[in-house]
Amino acid sequence: MKKQLKNTANKSQQISRKDALKKIGNYGKYVALTALGTYMILNPQKAQAQSPEDPGTGF
Amino acid sequence: MKKYSNLLYKTIENKTIVWFENSNEYLVLENTTADILKRLSKGVSVKKIAEVLSKKLAVPIEKTIDFVLDLEKKLFIAKDFSDSEIINDYRDITLPKVFHFVKFYKVNNTIFKVSYLNEKELSYVHPKFDHLVVDQLNSFDYEFHVFINNNYIFLYVNKKFIGSWSSKEIHYFQGKFSMELIQKIHQKEEKDWMGVFHASAVSDGKKSIMFLGDSGNGKSTSLALLQANGFTCLADDFVPMDINKKEVYSFPASISIKKNSLKTLLPIYPELETTAEYNFTRLNKIVRYLKPNNTNFFEHLPCNELVFIKYEKDSDLIFEEISKIYAFQQLVPDSWLSPIQENAQIFLDWFASLTCYQLTYSNNDEMIKTVSRIFNTKYSI
Repeated sequence: MKKQLKNTANKSQQISRKDALKKIGNYGKYVALTALGTYMILNPQKAQAQSPEDPGTGF
Repeated sequence: MKKYSNLLYKTIENKTIVWFENSNEYLVLENTTADILKRLSKGVSVKKIAEVLSKKLAVPIEKTIDFVLDLEKKLFIAKDFSDSEIINDYRDITLPKVFHFVKFYKVNNTIFKVSYLNEKELSYVHPKFDHLVVDQLNSFDYEFHVFINNNYIFLYVNKKFIGSWSSKEIHYFQGKFSMELIQKIHQKEEKDWMGVFHASAVSDGKKSIMFLGDSGNGKSTSLALLQANGFTCLADDFVPMDINKKEVYSFPASISIKKNSLKTLLPIYPELETTAEYNFTRLNKIVRYLKPNNTNFFEHLPCNELVFIKYEKDSDLIFEEISKIYAFQQLVPDSWLSPIQENAQIFLDWFASLTCYQLTYSNNDEMIKTVSRIFNTKYSI
């Protein structure tokens, strides 16, 4: 098991994005679809806040 | 037709930022994805959208139908949550009769009387405003009360209940205190602000530049260095921006200086040697407070540049323009942004007009020169 893990991490096994797309052939078009579903959610603070500078351990 | 939240769209660089009114969330999406959302919210059928997408990407229609349905579920249906906050009943709470610490602060010509029940309450607010203290007066313009009752800290302004916070939310209490103060100083209400940024703001008297960076990156130290070199400290840690003028407003709090910055700053600010030291054990932080050099707390100035600043030992000076999408991702989670739709639109428009930089330095003079350059070369209103 350990050996297998090591093999996966072997650098010679790493391929470029271009090669990977070639390898998956016809499925490559789904890559575009996956990219469209990738997004980032950003939540602002719920209220105005200061940097926490709290002396001690609570009230 | 399904009822969707009101949305705002802004294309910046090669992405689209979408704002959701019901959650005050910002999403960074691919332009095509934002377009799908726009069509969904206009009531265009999933099938129609999927057909167009299927043609565009040369993907079977069943796949694009799945994709659009999934997107709709994730982005619209999941956001339809109701606020489940527990509302406490404060009717039984009355203002204590005796407050052990009473301070008078003068900001411009406005006098604030702030009464703290005990030393604990005092310690949460007072050190940052100590430099504004004046002798006890009989008349004042505004009265604040701060007291802890049943593990909650309460804030009253002019005897009116403003809010209460647990000890874990102390930074929100401090934020609200600052917000109430700034609103009284500038005669504005909460709806009049675009947001409050976790940054520091420096001015040359004509415009301002906002500095951002994670805690410990040298934001406050850079600010202290800049104010010793001809610039004015407009605000540290709490940078309010208004909606009408889209300008940074001055905030009178002190600059908090961490212990490891003392060596750099003591030659310039010998007064730091004797300033009281506050030990925030829970945060493993020892700080002293440095008075801002600003004397006109009415000041407000436009801001067209954001600078992500970082002190890195032995680093060469690195100064480059950075992606606005990257800057947006750093700015939003650390800021309070107005949840009002018109204000969110103004924020997005203002942000789109900015230029964002990264400045990494180890040599203070080089940093100061670079900041001067930003002030001088990119002058625009």
